[in-house]
Amino acid sequence: MLEQKIINYILEELHGGQSDVEISPEDDLLGSGLVESMGMMRLIQFVEDDNGIKVAPQDMTIENFMTVAAMVAYIDRAKNNG
Amino acid sequence: MDFSWPAEYLAFKDKTIQFAQRELNEGTAERDENQSFPQSGWMKCADFGIQGLALPKACGGSLEEVDFLRALLAMEGLGYGCEDNGLPFALNAQMWTVQTPILHFGDEQQKKKYLLPMAKGNLIGSHALTEPAAGSDVFSMELKVDKVDDGYVLNGQKHLITLAPVCDVALVFANANPKLGRWGISAFLIDKGTPGFTTSAKKSKMGLRSVPIGDLLFEDCFIPEENLLGKVGMGFSILNHSLEYDRCCILASQLGAMERQLERVIDYAKKRQQFGQPIGNFQSVSNRIADMKLRLETSRLLLYKTAWLKKNGDNAMLEAALLKLQLSEAFITSSLDAIRNFGGRSYLTENGVEKDLRDAVGGVLYAGTSDIQRNIIAKLLGL
Repeated sequence: MLEQKIINYILEELHGGQSDVEISPEDDLLGSGLVESMGMMRLIQFVEDDNGIKVAPQDMTIENFMTVAAMVAYIDRAKNNG
Repeated sequence: MDFSWPAEYLAFKDKTIQFAQRELNEGTAERDENQSFPQSGWMKCADFGIQGLALPKACGGSLEEVDFLRALLAMEGLGYGCEDNGLPFALNAQMWTVQTPILHFGDEQQKKKYLLPMAKGNLIGSHALTEPAAGSDVFSMELKVDKVDDGYVLNGQKHLITLAPVCDVALVFANANPKLGRWGISAFLIDKGTPGFTTSAKKSKMGLRSVPIGDLLFEDCFIPEENLLGKVGMGFSILNHSLEYDRCCILASQLGAMERQLERVIDYAKKRQQFGQPIGNFQSVSNRIADMKLRLETSRLLLYKTAWLKKNGDNAMLEAALLKLQLSEAFITSSLDAIRNFGGRSYLTENGVEKDLRDAVGGVLYAGTSDIQRNIIAKLLGL
């Protein structure tokens, strides 16, 4: 559900609802150009607001934000760590 | 809603203005003419505590923790008091794009090695991002990084780097793994004297002439692992983290300069007599002054709002872009209005009026051009 929410945000907000864009949870968002650098900053802001977490600058890494699946795993860890 | 500042912040701003007016203005015209770096002014600023405003006490600052709004207001005061617009620009560049990244991403060894000497003025740091083929398209950087045992080898060039010719250390961004795109960008701290690392001579330029600008050159330059700032691939985060702090404070100093400029124009319009009366009585002159005041205050509101959002940890992407666009363009327009109001004498360098215009032009180019700011704003509006 969280995966789909993030994908929907990318499609609706960052791609303006263009119907020809497809995203899977394992797609490299920045590397593939699905999300450009400013879009990534907006996406991180969305993740923060939607999940009530704060992404530390040190956490803004490929391990945590390369794919939608990685983001979901990071959000789970952040929520569990309080 | 409360627009007031704490009394202590305002008192410190006043103290900063007095310091700048007393200690930093002698020889401003000569430094502009000769394009000479104000080394003694840099040290005086360190003694006063300017560089330390971006650092906690443990790293050379005066407060237990960095107070961003207090620092911002002080940098506005510095811009107002210091007639050399280049010095606050250079100080801000080091404070927010070198010191702040080291503070937030550096290890204890790096903090110890670089931050205290920077606070004391003994070490000058430059932030190196732009390349000959990577300006607005900054992530297309080509500086080559090869991973070797115990470190990295750099080959290539950084271009148009503020403070490059006088820097003791450069924070250099390069893509250590181009296959990862933006996630491959890493940040390296490279000391002066490192074999294979050289800096160009300073380049002559239009404005901010006391701040040396130049290139960084790398030829088989070995960088040990311990000089990596943060982890491999953290460059993207380091860049984004410091960008808005830097933007706010550089523009705060420009706001101070705009206020000084306005006061000077008002004073002149009251004293200068033509056709038997002060030129301020003529609406052609006074309307320009009213427009200058409007630009100053609209810029101020955007600056304070952006800084307040950053202080609260809120998203300020849109506000930062609006601020950068508004304030940098406003400074140019107001500098032209100042020139028109001063008349022919302002065209002479010796009167120090035209310098503001030359200095202001850089503002629509560095740290994201006005065109890029408009693109950001449009995107954030859903276009």
